[in-house]
Amino acid sequence: MTVRHQPMIDEWYPVALASQLPPGGRATQLMGTPVLVVADDPIRVVTDDGRDLPVTLRYGHVWTSLGQPAKQLFDIPEADQPGRRLIEVGVVRVRCSPLRAVENFLDIAHFPFVHTDILGAEPHTEVGKYDVEIREKEDEVWATKVQFYQPQAAKSATGGITTDYMYRVPAPTSSVLYKTCPARPGEWDVITLFVQPLQEDLCDVWPWMALFDDETATTDLIHFQQMIFLQDRSILENQIPRLLPLDPGREIPTRADLTSVAYRRWLKRHQFTYGAQLVAQ
Amino acid sequence: MILYDYILSPDAYKVRLLAALVGVKLELRAVDVHPGREHQSEPLRALNPAGSIPILIDGDLILTESAAMLVYLARRAAAEWLGGDDAVDAARVQQWLAFSRRLTEHLGGARATEMLLEPGDLPAMQRASTIDLRELEAALSERRILGQSHLAADRPTIADIACFPYVALAPDGGVSLDPYPSIRLWMRAIRMLPGFIEMPGIHRLHDLKPEPVSPAMPETV
Amino acid sequence: MPVEMLRDWIPVALSADLPAATVLPAHTPSGILALWRSASGKLTALADRCPHRGMRLSYGFVRGEALSCIYHGWSYGQTGQCLRIPAHPELAPPGAIKAASYAVEERNGVIWIAFEPPEAPPPSLEGFQPVRSITVNMDAGAITPNGTVRTQLAGVDVLLIVAGIGDRETIAHVMVDAAASATDRIAVSNAVEGWRRTCEQLGLKELAS
Repeated sequence: MTVRHQPMIDEWYPVALASQLPPGGRATQLMGTPVLVVADDPIRVVTDDGRDLPVTLRYGHVWTSLGQPAKQLFDIPEADQPGRRLIEVGVVRVRCSPLRAVENFLDIAHFPFVHTDILGAEPHTEVGKYDVEIREKEDEVWATKVQFYQPQAAKSATGGITTDYMYRVPAPTSSVLYKTCPARPGEWDVITLFVQPLQEDLCDVWPWMALFDDETATTDLIHFQQMIFLQDRSILENQIPRLLPLDPGREIPTRADLTSVAYRRWLKRHQFTYGAQLVAQ
Repeated sequence: MILYDYILSPDAYKVRLLAALVGVKLELRAVDVHPGREHQSEPLRALNPAGSIPILIDGDLILTESAAMLVYLARRAAAEWLGGDDAVDAARVQQWLAFSRRLTEHLGGARATEMLLEPGDLPAMQRASTIDLRELEAALSERRILGQSHLAADRPTIADIACFPYVALAPDGGVSLDPYPSIRLWMRAIRMLPGFIEMPGIHRLHDLKPEPVSPAMPETV
Repeated sequence: MPVEMLRDWIPVALSADLPAATVLPAHTPSGILALWRSASGKLTALADRCPHRGMRLSYGFVRGEALSCIYHGWSYGQTGQCLRIPAHPELAPPGAIKAASYAVEERNGVIWIAFEPPEAPPPSLEGFQPVRSITVNMDAGAITPNGTVRTQLAGVDVLLIVAGIGDRETIAHVMVDAAASATDRIAVSNAVEGWRRTCEQLGLKELAS
């Protein structure tokens, strides 16, 4: 791997669900490098040449890095909040850039067309103004005051509501979504997308949730999230080019895409370019 | 009727789809197939030793093959979905129900391997899928020359429902549907049926709905 | 691609395979186009890529006289100009948001496209009717040097209109006499499967040698 990708090499990535690790371990890859997640106690991650990689167990997943992470894995304080149910959704492989998978997760304008009658529906297609910033202290992308009309916002929702969202990008291939919690007004449900970059145009996606919901069966919660992500998958596999273009002329954003604009700018600033297309082809 | 269901299972979707089309209400029991592998747990093995999903239960009857479930639903609620009664028509429906097993094995296998990381020989399953899709395309092309839009009768039958899901989801397994114009039109005819429901990977036919006339007013709480 | 080829008509699909208010991916030697027919019957060939997020427009949907992208519903007219952005219903899309459009003609049941407008119309296939289109996993040049094959299938005279659409990928539009019966057309439709298998087996042998 080239030095060009060093900034992303030094980041943390999910490589397995700790609870689902088979006795023989999980043979996978990270940024083109084969790695084995070993079901020892404690869990280890090793490369083909026997190198032990750093390991963090958090949010149900095994996290590792090919390099030397300067920081600990990002914190999601809600994960430790009493009363939340932590839901492991499993893995789905997608033939797309890991960065495209995250960008799609940050997007709401596609809800009426891709998640029809669930997360959105015509004629409620308008995306209102919202706030986007790169928080310098945390070095994270944040979008706040996002609102959208949803026919069925969550498994526990009956009927349509205007849902509030906040989006947060704490790492190049991870995103945390905070949304209106139907069961507990005033709190936010937490839904994350953890993306394992296998190659520049191939990724394993590990959604995970921390919800206030005492009613819905766990399986129903898993299936709701799998349904949503599988609706996105056929989009992600048919975007051209597969890599995320960071050249501003290549794709045309509007005001609804400000989160994506900030995400791309933040990626560029940090040279998080594994899975990105730098020059238009 | 109780259906042990998985939202991502095309075989379970066949049963939900026909039930929706003929107006049968199913009681759905979600099974945590992925990642939980609940379908291979003892309580479900007790119902279905093969450990597969879906399972349909109606009173004392337990069915574990989706083709049999389609026959049962149609017989109970809408016999016209069984196709014609004569020898040729009945055999033709059975031919496609059996053919749908090949689709499960090849297209379904490719999809499970490519998307959910199940073990399998992906290139071999993709090659076998191409042979299946060419056979289906040839059959549908012949039907079109005869002025027909569906596989086994002059109307949709359980033969169409049995074959539709794995075909429509072929791209999930890295198999393109671009080379098959007759399959494209056949899928469209099925998706246009009144009462049609989707599953993840099969998008809504937005063209059936008119463009919203006036700009939507911003929603506020 | 050489300039003279840019001006050539490429047979991409049969008229019957593209009813009103539908779209299909039209494969050409230079990539895929979103080929669509409006509700009133007008044909358009656009670059198969929404300028917004790169989604293939051939996955989209046709309403009235516009093609919409499945991803965010951005819709495009016959010139490729963006007409509507649902996320901003009151915004008139800027002229710069445009998908490239290409020449398209329909003649004797075959749809042809060209990347630069050719001087002459596409070839007349007077006296023929289309049966079906098939894709062959083989280079077009190994099937025929001139884009057509005349042969007999199931005892019926057949004209194949052939175009390479990629590496070892060729589309063949099967034509028979305009007076051919349904029985003959079905016989040809089935026999062309055997023709394809023969072509592909020959191609495999060449690859092996």
